[in-house]
Parts: sequence; C-alpha cells; structure tokens
Amino acid sequence: MTSDSRLVPRLLSVLAALAGSLLLLFLAAPLVELVGTSGGEGLRRLGADAELRDSLLLTALCATTATLVGVLGATPLAYLLARREFPGRAVLAAILDLPLLIPHPVAGIALLLLLGRESALGGAALGVGLRIVGTPIGIIAAMLFVSAPLFVSGAREAFAKVDPRYEGVARTLGDTPWRAFYRVTLPLASRGLLASSVVMWARAVSEFGAIVILTYNPKVASVLSYDRFTSYGLSEALPVAAALALLALLPLTILRALRAESRSER
Amino acid sequence: MIRLESIDARKGRFTLADVSFSLEKGSFGVVIGPAGSGKTTLLEVVAGLLPPSAGTLRLDGTDARGLAPESRGVGLVYQHAFLFPHLSVRENVAYGAADPETLEEAAERMGVTPLFTREVRGLSGGERQLVALARALARRPRLLLLDEPFSALDPRRRAVIRREVRALHREWGLTTLQVTHDFAEAGMLGDQAILLDGGRVLQSGTPAEVFRRPASPYVAEFLGAENVLGGVARDLGEAAPDWIDSAPGEFAHGHRAFAFETDGLTLYAVGDFASGAGHAVIRAEEITIARDQSHDSARNRFAGRVLEVATLGALTRVTIDVRGTPLVAALTTRSATELGIVPGLAVVATFKAMAVHLC
Repeated sequence: MTSDSRLVPRLLSVLAALAGSLLLLFLAAPLVELVGTSGGEGLRRLGADAELRDSLLLTALCATTATLVGVLGATPLAYLLARREFPGRAVLAAILDLPLLIPHPVAGIALLLLLGRESALGGAALGVGLRIVGTPIGIIAAMLFVSAPLFVSGAREAFAKVDPRYEGVARTLGDTPWRAFYRVTLPLASRGLLASSVVMWARAVSEFGAIVILTYNPKVASVLSYDRFTSYGLSEALPVAAALALLALLPLTILRALRAESRSER
Repeated sequence: MIRLESIDARKGRFTLADVSFSLEKGSFGVVIGPAGSGKTTLLEVVAGLLPPSAGTLRLDGTDARGLAPESRGVGLVYQHAFLFPHLSVRENVAYGAADPETLEEAAERMGVTPLFTREVRGLSGGERQLVALARALARRPRLLLLDEPFSALDPRRRAVIRREVRALHREWGLTTLQVTHDFAEAGMLGDQAILLDGGRVLQSGTPAEVFRRPASPYVAEFLGAENVLGGVARDLGEAAPDWIDSAPGEFAHGHRAFAFETDGLTLYAVGDFASGAGHAVIRAEEITIARDQSHDSARNRFAGRVLEVATLGALTRVTIDVRGTPLVAALTTRSATELGIVPGLAVVATFKAMAVHLC
C-alpha cells in the first residue's frame, strides 16, 4: 500500500473523530455549564424554596403515574406488534409513533380538544366531578401522550429479542399462552421493559410543550423553570433548571447500571 | 401414533407441502434431510406450535386440529436446547415435570443431576442438550420430538445418551420422532426413516429399505451413494436363479433381469423397475476389487485402473477408472494394503446384479 492510499483513511478517521468530539461537546457543554454554575444553588434551594420542592415532587409523581399507566396499557400492544402478523399492523405501529413526530404544543392542543371542558370526553369527566385540564390529571395525560410511544418502541424490541421458541417449549411443557408469557417471556424481556420504562419516565419528566397548554398550574419543574425565566430572568430560572437536570440524571444512572449488568451477563 | 395426511404449513417464506406419513405408536421415526429441508418445521407442526394450513394431523387416532400444544402430551427438544436462562438447571428440568420421581429419573438417566445447582449460562452446548432432554422427558410425554438432540455431544457421550434415549423410548412406550442429517444415526435409532427435502417427503420406509432402494438419484446421493450413473435400462425377462442370491425376502423387490447401458458400460441388475431412461445406484461397499480376473458369481465385472486412493481410518475408498467412468469401491484398509492398491494399478471391480438398484 502506498503512503498516499494510507493517508486518505487516516484523514477520514481524524475528521470523523473531530466531528464526533464537537457534537459531544455541543451536547454536554450546556448541561455541564448549567449544573456546574447552578447545581449547588439548586440543591440549596430545595431546602428553602417550597414551590421548587413541590414542583419537583409533582413532576416525579405525575411522571411515575404516567409511566405506570403507559406500561400497563402499552405492554400488550408491544407484545402484539413484536409477535403477531395481522392486517393493519403497520398502521397501528405508525399511529403509535405519531406522538413522537408532532411538535409537542400541537400535541397539547390536540389533547385540549379531546379533554377540554367543551369536548364530549372532558364534559363527561366533569359530569362525574373529574376535571382534567388545569389539574395533575392533565399533566399525566400530556406526559403519557408524548412518552408512551418510547415505551412501546423499546418494549416491542425487548419482546422481539426473546426467541418465540422459548414460549413454544414452555407450551409443550404444559403452559397455557398466558402462563408461558408470565413465566418465560416476561422475565426474559424484563430488563428491556425496565429500561424502556425508565426512558419513558425520563421523557415524561422533561416534557414542557404539551403540559404548558393543558395544565399551566400546578406547575411541573419544566413549567416552573420557564415561568421563573419569563417573570424574574435567568438568575431565578437557573437553580430550577439545574435541579431538573439533576433529577434527569437519576434515570440516566439507572439505565447505565442496567446496561452494565446486561453486558456482564452476556 | 402420528399420522400426517397432505399437510401444508408455512413458516415465514418456507413451506411444507403435501407431507404425508404415519408412525406407529411406540415406534422410533427419524426425519432425515439437509439443512433447510423443513425438518424442524415438521416437528413444530406435530407439537402444535405451527398450525397447518391444509391437511390432517392425527395423534393416537385423535384429530389434533384445535388441540393446544400443552394438551398434546408432547416433549420437544430443539437442537439449541432453549433452556430458560432465568432459571437454574434444576428449575428447568422441573419446569413441566409430571412428578418428583419422573424428574429424578429423567435427570439421572440423562446425567444432569450433578448440574442441578448450576446456572444455565455457564453450561456447555452438550450439557444444554442433556438438560433439554431431561426437561422434556421429566414431563413423561407420550410423544417425544427431538431436533438434532445429540449434535453438541462428544462422540462417546453421544453413543451413551443415544442408547439411553432409545432405552427410555422402549421402557416408557414413547412414540419418538427425531430429526437428524446423519443417516448413520437414523440407521442406528430408527424403525422408520422419513426423507425430507424442500418441504416435501421424498421417501419413507425402514432405514434399510431407504438406504438400499432410494427412490431417486437425489435420495441416493443424499444418503451417500458414491456410484450414481445415468443411462437406459432394458428388460431382459425373468432373472435366472443364480442372479438372485440374497436371503429370502430380504430385498425381494422383483426378479426381473435388466441390462443398463451407461457411457459404454453395460451393468446387469435385478429388480422390479420400468425399462427406459433412469439411474443405476451401486453402493461403494458392494464393489469388490481384485488384481486379476477372479472367479466369483458376480454378474458385473469390469477391468480398470486405480485413479485415487483415500484412506479414512479402517476404511479405504478406491476410485477406479473403467473406460472413462469412475467407480468408487470401499474396502477395509487392511485389504487395500494387502492388495497393494496404488494409483495407476490395473484392477478388476466386481459386483452382483442384486447390488445394482435402478431408479
């Protein structure tokens, strides 16, 4: 091989490394800057700022509820999409991906149309004393709408990774389809399902666009951060934003631990 | 008893088409075929994991349509075992066990009791297959379906486990259907051989019958026949008694004599064939070699020259050029040494008319 022909691949490698490093810097720098300059203040404010504390608690609770509802509803759908061939499967998959593609304020407007007091569903809910818009239920609805597709996608992949022949063997060993699912498929897909639910939770925690339209008050952390920024400026918004960033680190740490465990078992 | 009548089934792009055979209760059937011939798909149809799109499947006389896998009394062992990785070896064997005694017996006889406390992830391929066998047997099935279950075992262990499975099959009165691509294994285990290729049954019968009387040149070559020659058969009428020398009824597949013309050679055959274009199959072990014109009763006798000598342990395969047609003979290495067989040597190849199968 001539030195010229070696030069091109080397040059390409250097360019690729440079591009990757720049992107990494671009993604990490704002968050590092944010946590570095205001993380300490954010943590200190947790003790003194009741609104921030309540807001973070509300965010975590609503995200957890939305995740639980999503996992319960989306698991059968994900299993169906991973295992069965049926007419309309592609359409169903596309519908489930749709919330990921539309701008989140648009998602908020669509939810408002469906669940607002003027709508049939919102009106019926009000009739039984259940107000959705402007309450934590609205927050949960918005979080569920924007984050459940991520769970479906991850869970579908987790189920697809479990060879159906495991279930087949379980059936020949006396299990009904439900029992084989519960005893074999679910445990084998559990790590993927857990990782998907963590991703869903993290996405729910970080949602702003749909929530701000459906429920401005009570304020979740993202709305509070925006509210402080527009009302009091950057200095007041920074500690809230840093606290939210630190909260987001929690699922990231869990995900890392899950992946490390998965690798060590391979 | 397993009875399949014109079964069609589809798995992805692969299809089983018009598959028919029956396996008597308590007998050992062996499905033989190359990779991708549909052997595993066939087992999945019988197990109820893949519904057939047409045809009838009967298990012990009952129509199996609508019968769930868990109600069929089948035990299935895949080649890759598919042990449940989240359970220990003991939990795997106990998964569907009929009772604690059967669990212990199955584990003991497959030699997996010492592995009970081990995690599945740490097992070797052979150990996995043994645990999968024990798991299927612990359920005490009526019907045992085995997909290349010994492929990862070392030769010594394979022989032991093969014997043990055969013994359990007999003692428990199981009906067993095993998939293999190894005809020697089929011959050792099976009461019945079913040859499958491209999703279709090419031939079924006793292993000896399939081995001696392949239905087509493809089957003959698949079963390892080295001499498959194309040509034209001519009916010579009723064969003289000295052409027929097998034990009574052994290969009584007709008593007509045939002359088979192939590339300037004329072979003589006995059987019940149709005249016309076809193939002659002669197994290498049916051909004997001498250095001079010996005087035995063999109807076919050809002078030629040794082209190639391949020694594999106790057996030596000798390729002889007979007027441009290669004939392969198998003899013991000791005989080959005694005869001084080397490439270029002039020899005489002989074989009986009964050894020539026309198809």
